[in-house]
Amino acid sequence: MILKANITEALRSLVSAKQRTILALIGIVIGIGSVIGMVSIGSIVQNEALKQFKDMGVDIATVRKDSGEKGSEMALKDILGLKGRGDVTEVAPYLTSGTEYGSGSKKMFMEQMGVTESFFDLNKIVMKRGRRITDLDAYRYFCVIGTETEQFLNSAGTPDPIGSRIALGDRIYTIVGVMGAVSEGGMRPYGINRSVITHITTGTRSFQSKEINTFMVRLAGLKAAPEVKAEFQDYFEKKSNGLRVSVNTAEELIASMKKQMQLFSLLLGAIGSIALIVGGIGVMNVMLISVTERRKEIGLRRALGAQQMDIQAQFIIESVTLCLAGGIIGIFLGIGVSLVFAKLSKWEFLVSYGSIALGFGVATAVGIFFGYYPARQAARLDPIKALRS
Amino acid sequence: MLKIIDVHKNYAVGPTEVKVLKGISMEVGKGELLAVIGASGSGKSTLMHMIGLLEQPTSGDYFIEGEKISYDNDRVLSTIRNRKIGFVFQQYHLLPRLTALDNVGVPLVYRGMREPEIKEKSMVFLKKVEMEDRARHRPNEMSGGQQQRVAVARALVGNPSIVLADEPTGALDTRTGQEIMNLFRKLNEEEGITIIVITHDHKIAAQCKRQVEMVDGVIVQSSESRVQS
Repeated sequence: MILKANITEALRSLVSAKQRTILALIGIVIGIGSVIGMVSIGSIVQNEALKQFKDMGVDIATVRKDSGEKGSEMALKDILGLKGRGDVTEVAPYLTSGTEYGSGSKKMFMEQMGVTESFFDLNKIVMKRGRRITDLDAYRYFCVIGTETEQFLNSAGTPDPIGSRIALGDRIYTIVGVMGAVSEGGMRPYGINRSVITHITTGTRSFQSKEINTFMVRLAGLKAAPEVKAEFQDYFEKKSNGLRVSVNTAEELIASMKKQMQLFSLLLGAIGSIALIVGGIGVMNVMLISVTERRKEIGLRRALGAQQMDIQAQFIIESVTLCLAGGIIGIFLGIGVSLVFAKLSKWEFLVSYGSIALGFGVATAVGIFFGYYPARQAARLDPIKALRS
Repeated sequence: MLKIIDVHKNYAVGPTEVKVLKGISMEVGKGELLAVIGASGSGKSTLMHMIGLLEQPTSGDYFIEGEKISYDNDRVLSTIRNRKIGFVFQQYHLLPRLTALDNVGVPLVYRGMREPEIKEKSMVFLKKVEMEDRARHRPNEMSGGQQQRVAVARALVGNPSIVLADEPTGALDTRTGQEIMNLFRKLNEEEGITIIVITHDHKIAAQCKRQVEMVDGVIVQSSESRVQS
C-alpha cells in the first residue's frame, strides 16, 4: 500500500537526519506541551474548586468588616442575633490570631482561632478523635487542633495529644479533640489544618487581636450577592453606628474563579499557539531542506510512475509524522508539568483524555498546514531538472 | 509499439529559443533492441525524455501501442510511465536508504500493490539479473555494475512495453559495461523485451540490432547490423 510505504519512508528519512529532526521537534514539543499542560492544569483547578463547593455547599457567604474603619466594631451578640433573621439559617463568627509555638529548630506557626459550635457544621469539619468545641466551652481553656498541629506535636514527643496541655501566649489550653484534614481555600478560612481552636469567647479574652471582623453565614436558597450585601449592610449600620461590611458569596467566588481560569487558559493558550507557530515554521524549514536534498529522489520517483499527488502525500506524511512524534513527546511533557503542578499545590492529579485527543489533533493539523507548501514544491518539480540535480 | 511523428522540441534560453529536436519521426517495433547514437548535444537525451514521457514535445504526435499521448493530465501520464516504460539511468539512481529488493519494488508501490506481493515479484527480477544474494544490501554496499543490475531489475519489474536505457554503461568500466550489454541482449533475445539504448559509444551501439544516429536534432542515419557475440 502506498500509505504504508509512505509512512515507512517518512520514518526512514526522519531517522537519517536525526539532528535536524530533533531541532524541528523542539518547537512542536513545547507548543503541544503547553497546550496539554494548559488544559490539564485547568481541569485540575476546576476539579479542586468544585470539590470544595461540593463539600460545603454553594449557599455560604462570608461577611467581613471593611478595613480602615475605626471605632465601630461588630459585636458578638449582634452577629449571633442574625440567625433566624431573613434567610440566615446559621451564623459562625470567628476570630484569628497567629502565634509561634516551640523553640529552637522545632518551631511551628500555629493559627489560633476562636469559634462557635456552628463553625464545625458550616465548614463540614469532621473530628478525627476526641470532641469538638461546643458553646458549653465558653470562657474555658479547652481547644481542638488540626492535623498539621497534631503531626508537629507528635514529632515533638507527644504521641497522643488528647488530654495534654499546650501553652500559647500566656495561657494554657487542654486539648480535647483532633480535627480531620480539610482542603482549605474557597469559602473555608485558611489555616484550619495548622490551627489551635478554642471557643470564641475564650479567644476574645486571651488572643492578641481580640476584634471579631469576620463571620460566615448559611443562607436559605441562593441569593444574588448585592441583595445579600444590602441586607447585612442595613443591619450593621443600625446596630453598630455606621459600620460598613463586605460580603463574599460562594456564587461570586465561583464566578471570579471562572474568570481567573479563563485568563489563565487564554495566557497559556497564547503561549502555546506562538510556540506552535514557531514550531510549525521550523517544521516547514526542515521539510523545505528535505525537499531540496532529495530532488534527485523526487525526479526518480516521478520517472518510475509517481504522480504529483503521490509525491505531495509522501512529504505531507513526513511532516505529519514529524509533528506527531513531537506531539507525543509534548503530551507527556504537558502531563508531566500538570503532575508537578498538582503535587506542588497538593491537589488531586487527573489526566484529561480530551486534552490528549486535542494534542494529537493539533499536531496533525500543524503537520498538514506547515507541510503543505514544501510538499507542493516537491510535487511541482520538473522531473528532468530534479533528476539532473 | 511506439511511433513518433514529426516531433519538435524548443527550449527558451533567455530571449532566444533553442531548437533541440527538429522534426523527428521514428517507429520502434516490439522486441527491438535499438541504439540511439549521437554526440552530446545532439538531442538524444531530450528524445529519450520525450519517449519516457518526462518531457512534452513542442509539436508533433507520439503514440504508444496505438494510443496517442496527451500531456494535460499528470495522473494519466504517470500511470503510462509506471506501466509501460522502464528507465535505466547512467548514474543508476537507486534510493540510498532502501535495500536492493526494496529499490526494485518502487514502481510497484505506485500501482498500489500489497507489500508481500511486491517483495515476491522484486525477488523474481533480482534473480533474473543474478543479484538475489544482494537483496538485503543497500546501494553503498554494492559496486557500480551491481547497482546497475539492480536498476535493470527495477526497470523490468513492472513488465513495461519498453525499457529506456540512457548511457547505461557510461559510468562503468569496459568489462562491467559489457556485462550490462550482455544482460540487455539476453533479455531481448530470450524474453523479447523491447529495449532502446541511448549512447555516444559506437561499440555499444554496434551490439544492438538497429542503430539510429542523431546529429543536431535530426536523425541522419538508420541502419541494421549483425550482432556479433
